Amino acid sequence: MFWEPFATWLESTWFHGVMIDIYWMFPLMETLHFLALIWLFGALLVVDGRVLGIVRFLNMKACMKFIPVAMIAFSFSFLTGLAFLHADPFNYLANPGFQWKMALIAIAGINALWFWLGEHKELLSLADGQQAPFRAKVIALISIVLWVFIIIMGRILPYTGGAG
Amino acid sequence: MDFLLWYEEGPVGLFIRESLWGYPIVLFSHAVGMATVMGVVVALNMRVLGFAKELSIPAFDNLFIVAWLGFFINLVSGLILFAGSSSTYVFQGSFQLKIGAILLGGTLMKFVLGAVRANKPAYIQKLLSIVCLLCWIVGVVTGRLMAYLA
Repeated sequence: MFWEPFATWLESTWFHGVMIDIYWMFPLMETLHFLALIWLFGALLVVDGRVLGIVRFLNMKACMKFIPVAMIAFSFSFLTGLAFLHADPFNYLANPGFQWKMALIAIAGINALWFWLGEHKELLSLADGQQAPFRAKVIALISIVLWVFIIIMGRILPYTGGAG
Repeated sequence: MDFLLWYEEGPVGLFIRESLWGYPIVLFSHAVGMATVMGVVVALNMRVLGFAKELSIPAFDNLFIVAWLGFFINLVSGLILFAGSSSTYVFQGSFQLKIGAILLGGTLMKFVLGAVRANKPAYIQKLLSIVCLLCWIVGVVTGRLMAYLA
């Protein structure tokens, strides 16, 4: 497959050795991955929840402060996820659950960009209690649904790998 | 103990141990529920600790309904997962700590909101909030590590 040279390279790095040789590295990274995912999902619940109108009396502008929180949390998830990949690149990259997860994250990224470029400015002028435009609500709903599926994919990928 | 063995050997225990997709499905439900409950807990405690001060705390109310939904998912999925080997889990330190931390964290969440509503001094609100957040974090960490500390 096209990713095989990448996997081979990952296995040749010193960090691969660290992930394999130090037995508590993997559980540590998993724990941090979980905490980062919680922070990310919480930030999204605030922003998307406000846009969807679930918590429409939260101040929209202040909710937007959770966007950088989401981005920092995502960076942590990304880095800790990269650590798993270093530990066992061939099995992850060949795993359909992993491939789906990455594809969904890419779509969620495009969706977030769409939100930022297309809706963010207009939403800032929303009064407390005022409903967001329909278009923005669609984006927010897509965001939540995508992240739920990303969490699902992440949790079941140990069971979707062929070779294991 | 008899009850635990009965539960473990009953249909729920059998399902979670033997059905091919039963375990992963219940497991991912537990992860989604966790992210929902914890996400709301984290966001609200961040606000109580002084982040995004313009957000009115009572306006978070509907997110708590969402959090309770997540909690319910986790209670059900947790009870099903527990049936897998309940007689072992109860003696596992990480499990005991997890349940203790969640009970304490949940109670403290009530106290945090109570302190906010009663307009208690900021340091009391923040202190409760930090301990509450820490409890929930301990709940997640010990939950994750249960798989390794068996």
